[in-house]
Amino acid sequence: MLKINRRKFVANTVSSGAGLVLGSRLMGLTHKEEIFSDAGEKKRNLMQEVLKYRKIDTHAHVDEGSYRPEVNLDFADRLGIEKLMISDFIRPHTEGTPDDFRARNNFVIKCIKERPDRFIGTVVLNPKYGKASLEEIDRCRDAGMIGLGELYNQVKINDPLYYPIIEKCIDINWNIMMHSAIGYSRVALNLHEPENISLPEDFADVARRYPEAMFQFAHIGGGIDWENACKILKDVPNVFVETSGSNNEANMIDFAMKYIGEDRLVFGCDYSFYQGVGQIFSAKLTDIQRKKIFFENISKRLKKGGKDVD
Amino acid sequence: MLIDSNAYVGHWPFRQFEYNTPEALSERMKEFGTDVSIVSNLNGIFYKNTQHANEELFEWINSKRVYKDRFIPFAVINPVYGGWRDDLNTCISRYGCKGVRLYPQYHRYDITNPFCVELVKLCRDKGLPVVFCLRMVDNRTSSWLDIEKEWSLKDIMPVIKAVPDAKYMVVNVANSTVLNEEDTALFKKTDILMDTSGRNITDWGDLFKRFGAGKFCFGTQSPILDYCTGLLRIESLRESEADEQAKELLRAGNVKGMLGI
Repeated sequence: MLKINRRKFVANTVSSGAGLVLGSRLMGLTHKEEIFSDAGEKKRNLMQEVLKYRKIDTHAHVDEGSYRPEVNLDFADRLGIEKLMISDFIRPHTEGTPDDFRARNNFVIKCIKERPDRFIGTVVLNPKYGKASLEEIDRCRDAGMIGLGELYNQVKINDPLYYPIIEKCIDINWNIMMHSAIGYSRVALNLHEPENISLPEDFADVARRYPEAMFQFAHIGGGIDWENACKILKDVPNVFVETSGSNNEANMIDFAMKYIGEDRLVFGCDYSFYQGVGQIFSAKLTDIQRKKIFFENISKRLKKGGKDVD
Repeated sequence: MLIDSNAYVGHWPFRQFEYNTPEALSERMKEFGTDVSIVSNLNGIFYKNTQHANEELFEWINSKRVYKDRFIPFAVINPVYGGWRDDLNTCISRYGCKGVRLYPQYHRYDITNPFCVELVKLCRDKGLPVVFCLRMVDNRTSSWLDIEKEWSLKDIMPVIKAVPDAKYMVVNVANSTVLNEEDTALFKKTDILMDTSGRNITDWGDLFKRFGAGKFCFGTQSPILDYCTGLLRIESLRESEADEQAKELLRAGNVKGMLGI
């Protein structure tokens, strides 16, 4: 997936992350006036509507390069995103050694210590290094992190190497979020994909093996054939399907609602903040459905793991 | 006022769309407060003879009085297909088209093909903008029968160099906006607008600095992309980034200026 190219952002629009207050006050957007179109029709106040929903971005990244924490917070502030579940994912086509994933998790720990009100840290690891990965879960849990993600392409999600890690996550009620692939959208495997990409079929397979585990299928807007993915994941109740990605195709959310449903869809941006939020307001959703997707579904899972975001 | 500079009706052969009829588009416009949409017919990408698509669009727009007030038709012309000059004249004089959309990749000609350059010059002489879309859909998840290559902003520059005094619109700016120094200078001088639907319209601070707020306008790429994101990019700008006057230019002012309406 073309992660780097679509995440360029320069800091000159960035405000300080300190002292931020949520809600409409974030942007000075306190419009109460009714707005009318030239045709005399009452216009919706989009920002008022956007800012009224509590939101948890279930797919966010931090690092010291492309995904700087303050840039994340700048986007989050303008769009009313209260909390972001952050990780520093192991880059594709890299070995993903314990030294590498420990350093990445250390940066996330630093971020959540600096902004515990905004960041929820999630753990990256590589099951090829089984013992080190299990130890990393304990270490990061002690440091206040909760859940795995974004797991990347080093090992397929249904590879037996993952079994002890999944079993540990079952024990501690952790959400397991993994990258999804462009895969076979154009029949042949996408040339940019690493060998061990996890396909929707792999998620369905492992979720059926471990029905008590809690999986999160990342970014249906991330380049995958989302219709195909939703159809495959339709009858796998322990897989949340996450809405992030840069490809904000019309009807994607409506289609996902039909196949996945309001109780299994979770909001995310994966650094495509405008698309992530915009498509939820473009979709035909009720107020209750938006609340579930933006906040409630993931907050229930986090609570199971011991994190009460309320 | 709110003008969507980048909407379509018609069929996409590889995926079902929900809002691709005049009626459905009109409903979306009401829902989001869009007063007017610039609209073209997707069928023109796939018909060998694009004029059939322009005829369809004319018929659709004339099927209800309200559509005539809310839709501004743009023609789809293929300059390497027979009779395109007559088609262009018909689109302007009979169908009321206020701009022309070109699809060099789908219609398989180079952007500096002499007939393309001639068409752009004709549009220039008639005061009509010419529209290029950097990508219709995301190539990662597009059909195996669809084209694969996406354009970035620099791919438009050869035709701008050939006809620098024409009016242009570049829509769905999904990829790089990086231009070299010479091209940046030319781009700034050119009468050109980019719509807000594309995924690369993210870093407004940098974009305004590089190109100026006068180079952008609201667009949805509906029914392909979600209707809201292009608008959200404008409405979520802070006062320090764009005051109300600047936002009005983005919502409608810039495109009104280009179309002379």
